[in-house]
Amino acid sequence: MFSRLFQRVALFVAPFCLFLLSGCSKEELTVRQSTLDPKGPVAQMQYDVFMDTVWLVVVLFVLVGGLLVYAVIKFRARPGDENKPAIVEEGHGNPLIEIGLITASIGALVFIAIPTLSAIWYTHDVPDEAVPTSKLSAWYPRVGADGKENYPKSVEEEVLIVDVIGKQWWFRFEYPQLGLTSDAKHTVPNELVIPRGKAVRINLRSEDVIHSFWIPKIAGKVDLMPGRKNIMWIQADQVGHYYGQCAEFCGDSHAYMLFRVEVVEPAAFDAWVKAQKAPAPEPTPGSKAAKGKEIFAAKTCAMCHNVGGQFGAGMFGPDLTHVASRKSLAGAWLDNRDPVAQRALEKKEQNTEASVAVDPAILKANLIKWIGSSGTSHGADGKLSKDVKPGNRMHYYAMFNVVGLNISKQQFTAEELDYLAEYLLTLK
Amino acid sequence: MSHDSHHAPVADKMELAPERSDLGLFRPDRTRGFFDWLTTVDHKKIGIMYGAFAMLFFLVGGVEALAIRTQLARPDNDFVTARMYNQLFTMHGTTMIFLGVMPLSAAFFNFLVPLQIGARDVAFPRLNAFSLWTFVAGAMVLNGSWLFEFAHLAGWFDNFAWHKALVYTDFVPANGWFSYAPLSGTFGQANAALQAPRFTGVGTDFWIIGIQILGIASLAASFNFICTIVNMRAKGMTMMRLPVFTWMALVTSILIILAFPAITVALIELMFDRQFGANFFNPSAGGQPVLWQHLFWIFGHPEVYILVLPAMGIISEILPTFSGKALFGYPIIVFSGAVIGFLGFAVWSHHMFTTGLGPIPTAAFALLTMAIAVPTGVKIFNWLGTIWGGRIRFTPPMVLALGFIWMFMCGGFSGVMHSAAPADAQQQDSYFVIAHFHYVLLGGVLLGLMAGLYFWFPKIFGRMPNAGIAYLATGMVILGFNLAFGPMHYLGLAGQPRRTHTYHAGNGWETWNYVATIGAFILGLGVFLAFVNLVYTAFKGVKCASDPWNGRTLEWSLPSPVPEYNFARSPIIATRDAFFEHKHGVHKLAYENDGGEAGVHMPSQSWFPLLAGTGFLIIGFGMPMMAMGMPHAGWMVVSGLGVMFLGIWLWALEGPGGYMLKTPDDPHGAAAQAKAAASAY
Repeated sequence: MFSRLFQRVALFVAPFCLFLLSGCSKEELTVRQSTLDPKGPVAQMQYDVFMDTVWLVVVLFVLVGGLLVYAVIKFRARPGDENKPAIVEEGHGNPLIEIGLITASIGALVFIAIPTLSAIWYTHDVPDEAVPTSKLSAWYPRVGADGKENYPKSVEEEVLIVDVIGKQWWFRFEYPQLGLTSDAKHTVPNELVIPRGKAVRINLRSEDVIHSFWIPKIAGKVDLMPGRKNIMWIQADQVGHYYGQCAEFCGDSHAYMLFRVEVVEPAAFDAWVKAQKAPAPEPTPGSKAAKGKEIFAAKTCAMCHNVGGQFGAGMFGPDLTHVASRKSLAGAWLDNRDPVAQRALEKKEQNTEASVAVDPAILKANLIKWIGSSGTSHGADGKLSKDVKPGNRMHYYAMFNVVGLNISKQQFTAEELDYLAEYLLTLK
Repeated sequence: MSHDSHHAPVADKMELAPERSDLGLFRPDRTRGFFDWLTTVDHKKIGIMYGAFAMLFFLVGGVEALAIRTQLARPDNDFVTARMYNQLFTMHGTTMIFLGVMPLSAAFFNFLVPLQIGARDVAFPRLNAFSLWTFVAGAMVLNGSWLFEFAHLAGWFDNFAWHKALVYTDFVPANGWFSYAPLSGTFGQANAALQAPRFTGVGTDFWIIGIQILGIASLAASFNFICTIVNMRAKGMTMMRLPVFTWMALVTSILIILAFPAITVALIELMFDRQFGANFFNPSAGGQPVLWQHLFWIFGHPEVYILVLPAMGIISEILPTFSGKALFGYPIIVFSGAVIGFLGFAVWSHHMFTTGLGPIPTAAFALLTMAIAVPTGVKIFNWLGTIWGGRIRFTPPMVLALGFIWMFMCGGFSGVMHSAAPADAQQQDSYFVIAHFHYVLLGGVLLGLMAGLYFWFPKIFGRMPNAGIAYLATGMVILGFNLAFGPMHYLGLAGQPRRTHTYHAGNGWETWNYVATIGAFILGLGVFLAFVNLVYTAFKGVKCASDPWNGRTLEWSLPSPVPEYNFARSPIIATRDAFFEHKHGVHKLAYENDGGEAGVHMPSQSWFPLLAGTGFLIIGFGMPMMAMGMPHAGWMVVSGLGVMFLGIWLWALEGPGGYMLKTPDDPHGAAAQAKAAASAY
């Protein structure tokens, strides 16, 4: 009875195991958000500790599992057993075996405890050995070619600092040493840019609920706790476009709270910072974009969104000064690149960090889709609506859905949406 | 007063004269059928009801799980909305933990503990019924939120002023089973009416009051079990002769008593935040969201052991029975169970490795978490030692028990991986964690509980489940389970975060999510088949002998189904595995000379535990309805409180009750044996 059952189970399980193994291709291990493809020292350290645990567990699995299978087969009841006298003895166990196994278990745990402890301190904050090469004066000229200060003298011994601010459901990035801050009306939504090979200190803050900052290929996650100042450090050793995601459940649209990290050569970083500070170009008078700009003001977009040099009142929503230069929209949920070309490039380069440029047609379609459908899943009509991002706060006069406040939703005609998109497309 | 007639021994309680207390209240002893089940104080009937409700909610939670998997089968799917998905995973977790596993464990505790220790009932029979009905009230409150949600979606509330005034219209909890503040709480400053703005709607209020009520049920039941195990053991049943299952019931009950106050406090604070503008967790008014996490997890981690220790106890009964051999290392298995319970209170912050604890607490909790692997490993080694050298008979419970060891071991291994905090920074809140705890809670706890159901069903109903269907269901469960949750290890390492209702194509997660969904449906079908088999058995199954497995502990010495009074004569125990010794060894069971002509004293039935539980039901619906702004809902809460106090007051005044039930003249074959044993003892 049993052996037949066993054979049947084996017949069933063996192909399944082969199927599982066949899935372990290199491509599967290096997907966009893979933790098994570290591209920086923090992720590398976390990967190394992980692999220590994997080896320990594999050895234990083979040992204990092997013994279990052996015991089940060896000690199975055989015909005639029922005539033998029952085994009557109290199970006291064997102290030597018990103590031996407990000692061996503790020994096995020490094997992972030591790398764990050293990695906890290593990943906590920028290690001393990384500072000499990563401090600003070591790679970023204090006075640029244009003769202007890139950063004040007081911070030249520091590594680059980025403030990450989480909100429902997008991230805002600020570079306090470089003048990219809310106060200076220059902030960077959703697409973080960092120099290659340099340690970067991250300050994590939240303005509403708990979020978590996770770029699997660069570093494991640390939470953004409201009312609390968390830190982490990251470093990426390879130029490219990285994918990150909020990893703490933060409400309706948690799944749509993504972000990107662009790792650039240190030499290119300065140009990017300067471009961020440049004001947006004024649209040609009489063009669709100029009409879009009027709608942007009239429909109160400007109350929440900053556009450098044009609208400076709003800091609640993402800064739109360079919205058309970004590869993604709506908390990185909508991708502005051609998906077919992107996948072909990834395949060709064998690298998910390779990225094609923004496709303006897709960007425009995304802008219209995003602005046109946004509202809330529990709008004034009380009904659910199919939003790009349910629960998002666009189109509200109010910053928060404060109890008792009368909230109404903006409406756009198709023409207005077209003008708005044309205007936003000029914000490179 | 007919008190005397009530205490004359009768063979059938329908012969009883009705008894009336000083207030003129009747104890409903002479009831049959439905009313008998509503008023019963018999631990076996209460156990069966706990089991039936638990299986019902397993199915509810299972349907929620399948909806989740259907949504995730394909990228960018829109089978459910984002909010509905969040509600589904919240209710799936809450239902499975509080309404599935815990009551099913309670069902086993109720049915088995008195039988295993040689007692005639639990210490406080009416309190036991109160626990059951309070649990049912809490379960109905939590799931009743779905009715409000559907009514809302169907538009039935549209014309009401209170509905129009609602800012958030989520009626089902959508915060996850952990309900992290401030998402579950408030932000900004409270207004003059002590209302602060919130992130979520009344779903959270349903969750808060529902869990609070369930906590009362669990606490009452746990005090009852501790009193029973400590005080009601038969003569000679010393603590170190207790069956391991009863030991684990004791440890679990102690864990519940120590863990639930933490969540009770946290829930009250959260309720105060939401209802009265308190600022415990409100960061913009100086509150600490991380405080919620500490309070929640110092409950939440022991809760994991509350779920798993009963299953470990079940396994420790099944393996010796079918190996034909005593449990290897009984003292160390008991001790390691207690150590797991103790250490369970010292590892909670490993759920918070990514919250910025700082290196020293992270290191401390990482090491303590590794330490808890030692007593768990000890249990596995001793189970291996138990089957080593035995004669293993393969039966459905034994196959499930062996499956438990395998799957639980895998879950334990990924648990050790999490204890390495730096590696956990990548795994936390990813599908790797989902894989881990489903291997522990499904591969471990569910297989263990299913093993227990197949093992004790013949004792509970005197009928044997169909073995062929049992094997088929077991195979489907184990296969489907590994197919569903094995790939999630990969998905987590490939960066897929938990609690996300959808994902884009292009991240490389498509294939394995699809496979996981197929596995989930096989698993669901397997569990359904297993439950159908059991329910059919309960009513129509093949009748079987009272000791079909060659059992080892006292419950197998009783007829099946077990008579109302359990033991016609109280047993006297001289060794561990007393009934196996009685059958095959030198230490025969002896019996006290009680019961007999005077009959066995039985506790009277009562309506008032049910009434008090109903009070909780009214409060449970009233509080969220008050939060919704429904007119007069506050009076509902007040009347619910009134009903609850009325129930407890009348309970206190309905009189002691009790009646004498005649037992068979010579139930154990020898009255003389009892006499001899009593003198020998």
